[in-house]
Order: sequence, then structure tokens, then C-alpha cells
Amino acid sequence: MECVVQGIIETQHVEALEILLQGLCGVRREPLKVHEICLKSGPNLGAVPSEVRLICNLEQTEPTWTVRFVGGAMRGAGAEQLSVLVRTVIESKASKNVLRLFYALGYKLDHELLRVGFAFHFQRGTQMTVTVSSVNKMPQLHNTDEAVPVTPGIQLVEVTAPASSETYTEVASAVSSFCEYLAPLLHLSKPGISTGVVPTAAAAAASLMSDGGGTTL
Amino acid sequence: MPLKWVLHWQPNAGTTVNSQIINEVTQVVESINGIKEGRWKATITFYKPLLRGFGGEYPRDFLGIALPEQPNKYYLIIRPLRIVLEADSTITMIMEKLQSYKQRVSLNFEGFQYQLGDFQLRVGKVLPNQSENLRGIVMEVEYLPISSMEKARQIMEEFMTIWDQAVLKRALPGHFVHMEPNFGEFGLGDQYTSQHTAVQYAAVMAQLIATVQGRN
Repeated sequence: MECVVQGIIETQHVEALEILLQGLCGVRREPLKVHEICLKSGPNLGAVPSEVRLICNLEQTEPTWTVRFVGGAMRGAGAEQLSVLVRTVIESKASKNVLRLFYALGYKLDHELLRVGFAFHFQRGTQMTVTVSSVNKMPQLHNTDEAVPVTPGIQLVEVTAPASSETYTEVASAVSSFCEYLAPLLHLSKPGISTGVVPTAAAAAASLMSDGGGTTL
Repeated sequence: MPLKWVLHWQPNAGTTVNSQIINEVTQVVESINGIKEGRWKATITFYKPLLRGFGGEYPRDFLGIALPEQPNKYYLIIRPLRIVLEADSTITMIMEKLQSYKQRVSLNFEGFQYQLGDFQLRVGKVLPNQSENLRGIVMEVEYLPISSMEKARQIMEEFMTIWDQAVLKRALPGHFVHMEPNFGEFGLGDQYTSQHTAVQYAAVMAQLIATVQGRN
């Protein structure tokens, strides 16, 4: 399982966000460049239609592959009250033949994206990851060199934290608490519930840039 | 990683495998000073597509393989298309969630392993899951000092010559066969890996099926 929230920020404020995250997380940022290939099952395959993502990490010298299954969101009154989304996620590292295998199994390309940016992996009550990235599409199949932004000038911010059926409440609380520190720059919410950029972002970013994060927001 | 050959028992025409052959083979290993170590077990699972209509082409011979030397890994093979994949064992949970392919028949390859100097031998029964109905016999011959298949070829052949001579005295109704797959077609090189082992087991499985179908 994982808890996840997303938000957007204007590219001009990403540097300020990075300063803030550096201060909050206490770790160095890591570069992020992943090619995400979303596959869907062919028309007759499976008891129900299914979707699987193949993530190729292009930041390594030798690209590495991960198979990622994202399940439906947790439902019920308890889940509704949480400000984060809780969902099933299963990942498996795989060798480089993985795309060829899934094509052979009858899966088809639905869409593909290239995410370029950075990530912070840290511990704050629970293990968390913040990624800040531009989301790019490929006009030509699998051609990551020619990728162009889906939304120029806007980047996606995602906070994720692994959880289990026993811990998701505490993890969700830790993620929510962390997100409050980012509130002047951006609003993070459940995926699919977009709130746009926040009006205080420009002022907050200016403050961060002027004294390198020494200001308490 | 040390290289290994995976061999399967080819019964003589008109004969079938039985437990007595395993006993005889075990005695041959011990007669050439094989030292018995622990148990081992590999598992092959056949996956079949779940279809909710007609149309589309889906692979036959889609196998999942679990190997004892890689407890956290799982291997998926589509042998006719020469595709082999090494993945974390969580891939089985993903396949379960996708509900596009289901595990059907599973076969276990299990028995004892033996140390003979620089060689490690594994002799195993082939049994359907939760059944004692013997379907075949396999043997792994692993040469520990070398990872290059070409460099080890001569010594492996010399070992098999010694093995064949030891077996000859017992007049067994069959013999072990090594049919080396074309690893290059699977994108695998000369340096041995567990993906090579998975490919060999898939080939052995195909041979066992052919043997049974030939008898029927």
C-alpha cells in the first residue's frame, strides 16, 4: 500500500521549493528521470481489463526497469475522511525484456510519459518520498530524447509514503503534517482532486529565495 | 555465477520413469564419492490466459520458474518467442492482481544435492504439486570454479564421460540427456546466470512433455 498526494507548482517557483524541501528533509536531492510506460490489456484478455506500468529509470548508467501495479483507492468512511489517498501498490524490479514480455502477453501501449526533475527520500515519522518533476510526452514512440512538456511552465509534485493495512492511518497523518509545511508554496491533495496553484506561492518563493530558506513560512 | 547443465532422464523406448531409477542414480553419485548435502526444490508453473471473449493471440508455454538459489527472484519465460525475464518474486503478486493470466499446473523438481570436488550435483524427481506421481527425473551438474560456458565445456563433457561410464555398469533403462538451448536467442551471453538456468528448465519441461506425448 501507499499514501499519496499530488499538487502542481509553477516552474519558476521550483527552486524555492527545493530550498524548502532541503531544509525540511535534511537529505540531498537525487536527480529523477524516469520513462513511464502505461500498458493496458488487450480487448479480450483477462477477467477484467487491467493496467500495468513499466518504469524505466534513465538516471542510472544502465537503465533499470520496475513493474508497477497500482490498485484502486481504499474506500469507505475512514478513507473518505483522510486527506491522502491510500491505494494498493506492488512493485517488482525486472530485467530489460519486460516490455517485450508484456507485449507478448497481449498488453498494449496506452500512453507513455517522461518525468524529469528531482526527488527527496527521507524519514519524517515515516519513510517518505517527494518528487518534483516536469511531465513530458513523446511525439514519437519511446523517443525520450524528443519529449516535450505536457503542461509547459507547470511541474508536478508528489508525496508518497509506503504503508500497510495496520499503519496507513499513522502514515497518512505524517504525510498530511508534512504537507502543511509546503502549504504556502503549493497545495497537495488526493490525485484527481486538483486545486491549482496557490495564490501565496509567489510571495513564499520570493521569501525563500531572498534568505535561502532561513525564513519560517 | 558458476555454470550448470540441467539434464533430463530419457527413458528407453517402451519404458517409463520410476523411483527405482532415482535410487540407482543416487547410488551412482555416491559411488563416485558424491557427498550428500541438503535438499533442493525448484518449481515450474504453467500460466494460461483468462479470456472474456474470442479473438487475439496469446502465448502458449508461458511459464513461471522459482529457483532455490534465487529465493527472492522469479523467472517468466515464453519459450516459443525466446523471451526470459528475471523479476523480483513480487511479480507473482502483480500477475495475480492483473487477473489476465492464471497459474494452472505446477511441477516441483526436488531431491538431494551432492558435492563432488569442484562439482555440485542435484538429482531430482519431477512431481506435480501435491502429488507423488513421478513424471520425470532431472539432474543438475554445476561446475563451481567457472562462469564461462565455453571455457567450462570441455571439463563438463569430461565429467559426463565419467558419469556415463559409472552408469553403464548398472544397465539402467534410459540415460540423462543434455540439450543445450540456444542462449543467444534469449539474449543471454557466455557468462552464466540464473536466467540461463530458467531457460534450461523450460527446455527440460518441453522435453518431458514431448516424452509423455510420444508415449501416448
